[in-house]
Amino acid sequence: MRKSSAAPNFSRRRLLGTTAAGVAATSLAACATSGGDEDTEAVTVGDDAENPFGVDGSAPLDVVIFDGGFGDEYAVQHQEMYRSAFPDAEIAHLATQAIAETQQTRFAQGEPCDVLDNSGAQQIPMDALVSDGELAELTPLLDAPSYDDPNVTVRETLRDGVLDAGTFNGKVYAMNYVFSAWTIWYDAALFADKGWTPPTTWDEMLALCPDIQAEGIAPWTYAGQHPVYLYDMFLMLAGRHGGVEILKAIDHLEPHAWHQDSVVAAAEAMYGLWEAGYILEGTPGIDHIQSQTAFNDHEAAFIPVGSWLPNEQKGIAPEGFEYAPMGVPHLEGSVQPGLISAGGEEPFVVPEKAANKPGAYEYLRIMLSKQGSQIFGDTVQAATIVKGVELDNLAAQLTDELVSNPDDLFQPRFRFWYTKMDEEVRPALGGLMAGEIDPEQFVDRMQNVADETAEDDGVEKFTHES
Amino acid sequence: MRHGKYPFILSFLALPVALYAWLVILPFAQAFQISLTDWSGSSNQFEYIGLDNYVNLFKDDRLVLPALRNTGIILVVLPVVTIGLSLFFAFMLNIGGRSRQGRIEGVRGSRFHKVVFFFPQVLSLAIIGILWKQVYAPENFGGLIAGGLRTLGLPAPVNGFLADKRLVLASVIAVLVWSAVGFYLVFFSSAMASIPRELYEAGIVDGAGRFQTFFKITLPLLWESVQTAWIYLSIIALDVFVLVYMMTPGQGGPDGASEVVGGVIWKYAFKHGEQAFASALGVVLFFAALSLAVVSLRVGRRERIEY
Repeated sequence: MRKSSAAPNFSRRRLLGTTAAGVAATSLAACATSGGDEDTEAVTVGDDAENPFGVDGSAPLDVVIFDGGFGDEYAVQHQEMYRSAFPDAEIAHLATQAIAETQQTRFAQGEPCDVLDNSGAQQIPMDALVSDGELAELTPLLDAPSYDDPNVTVRETLRDGVLDAGTFNGKVYAMNYVFSAWTIWYDAALFADKGWTPPTTWDEMLALCPDIQAEGIAPWTYAGQHPVYLYDMFLMLAGRHGGVEILKAIDHLEPHAWHQDSVVAAAEAMYGLWEAGYILEGTPGIDHIQSQTAFNDHEAAFIPVGSWLPNEQKGIAPEGFEYAPMGVPHLEGSVQPGLISAGGEEPFVVPEKAANKPGAYEYLRIMLSKQGSQIFGDTVQAATIVKGVELDNLAAQLTDELVSNPDDLFQPRFRFWYTKMDEEVRPALGGLMAGEIDPEQFVDRMQNVADETAEDDGVEKFTHES
Repeated sequence: MRHGKYPFILSFLALPVALYAWLVILPFAQAFQISLTDWSGSSNQFEYIGLDNYVNLFKDDRLVLPALRNTGIILVVLPVVTIGLSLFFAFMLNIGGRSRQGRIEGVRGSRFHKVVFFFPQVLSLAIIGILWKQVYAPENFGGLIAGGLRTLGLPAPVNGFLADKRLVLASVIAVLVWSAVGFYLVFFSSAMASIPRELYEAGIVDGAGRFQTFFKITLPLLWESVQTAWIYLSIIALDVFVLVYMMTPGQGGPDGASEVVGGVIWKYAFKHGEQAFASALGVVLFFAALSLAVVSLRVGRRERIEY
């Protein structure tokens, strides 16, 4: 380029400088983090049992569904129920896996949707939403008359303990719609064929392991890349031994909670599986799909997974395979051998700043009706938190037996309350079961992070007491 | 023409500068602003907390410090290995062959090799991640490398390469190198093609071997290309995220052994709900990348050889 003889008063530097100044000025005025506070209306329960929240029939409803393992067919049918009650309402339905990607910005702008199924890998962290005051309390919904019977409240139609998962310091912020339990699975057909009795105690299980190995089958496998699959197995083993208070102490970040005898005993038992060589070779390096495939192929006899396993394996389950659940075999001297991690999952929330809050509550009330709940049961073969949904598969019936005693239902919560604890318990459990750290190191490590979390004033604390 | 200079230039510049300001500079400026707050990312409420995020950044020995260390390792290893390998291959494919009837050319089948080496470049990183995750799997779950090693009677990690804390970072870097070498091979090849053949002929006449030809002729004349490659690869190294996300257990595991800065930003922003903290780390990364580019351009500045 030929140089102009004129003075270079229009320099690149000057242009950039001016632009930068302009940008700096505008960025402070108009950006994602701006947006004012707005007053939100509290929803109250009125006398009209047909429309307890006083829904404006012409107000649009904005529903966002996590399009994961359960799909969104059930939600489409729920929306038809809503539409038949309020024919003038326009319903915006979004089914997506990208929950955070699509919805977090709407929260940030103060214009969230009305009903959000906040699930999946892209879940917006619940603890952040709750501490920011972005979620509406669901008490009005629970106190409202149920859809089917005006004399019974919505709360009374639910199974026991299913609200715990959505309860933060005594306030219910999420309706965890799907009822599920964490159990140990085995193939009932294989066990019958070989004449093995499903073990109820840890010692029975250990005694059975050599027999299983003699058939060329490894006793245990799990999703080694996602050690969170071991979380409930480990904690139930400890909780069964020492009672549910042991687990509450852990959740409440009490000093020395991880050094309780039952917790140490459970860690030693889990580590013992590795020491004895009872874990399928290569397990720490595989994911949930590989471990479940190995289980389907009879490479391993036991696997810890949630109650969705049979539904997930539908279509790929080998011929004649009978998925049967059992509680984790309990240790010698267990005081609460029936304890089981069961409750609600798949949290549905109503944002505090939702434009149509009454409509959102009504939509959840429809979901919790007998018909709404049966729709879910029929479309995805999974139980909801509503009592009395009929499912016609063996695994669901067996799971129902395991969770029949309401006093024995407990969901350990610390990994949901404290993200940092969640990030620590996963690798720690993974390391324990892979023989990388011993039980003593494991409990020390967990006690450390518990103490750090307890001392951190920046972290909002939660308890089981209401 | 002189009197119409400003409107003329401005009419060309206005749109691109406006777009650039809106889509690039504004978000950067916002990241700075957000990093001074306690914003969670899912609310429109926040408070300014000064430089606390930056202070806490360097106290986080669970995620941030291991990530800085690992990214540092990648930053050194990735460019060195990739440039070394692709220069070697490019040399062999273009110049390093036995000279036949006085012609300078690459080893036999060099065209075929070039295509093969370029293959990984055609695949998206996500596919590469899935592919290599399987290659690195434990032997009894179809892991190609572990199985191969075992067949040869060599020791292989029982749980595969990615579940082993000592091997996981090296495994990820190896995949990065594998996927980048092809591109830089072609890049260096085209640069080598512009080096006059007479220089090589003169060298060979004077009795220079392949080794000397490479270090005395090729490398000095390719210096600018090497420098460019170095900056590109450094930026790739700072950005490593997709492979770690796709391949490693716990997206940075096992136990933080493969955490990288990009991944930690994502974790804080979307899993921990600490967008402001993530922004602070992003700002640190921004300055790291900037100073890296400046330093490598200054330090690597050499006299340009005209030919």
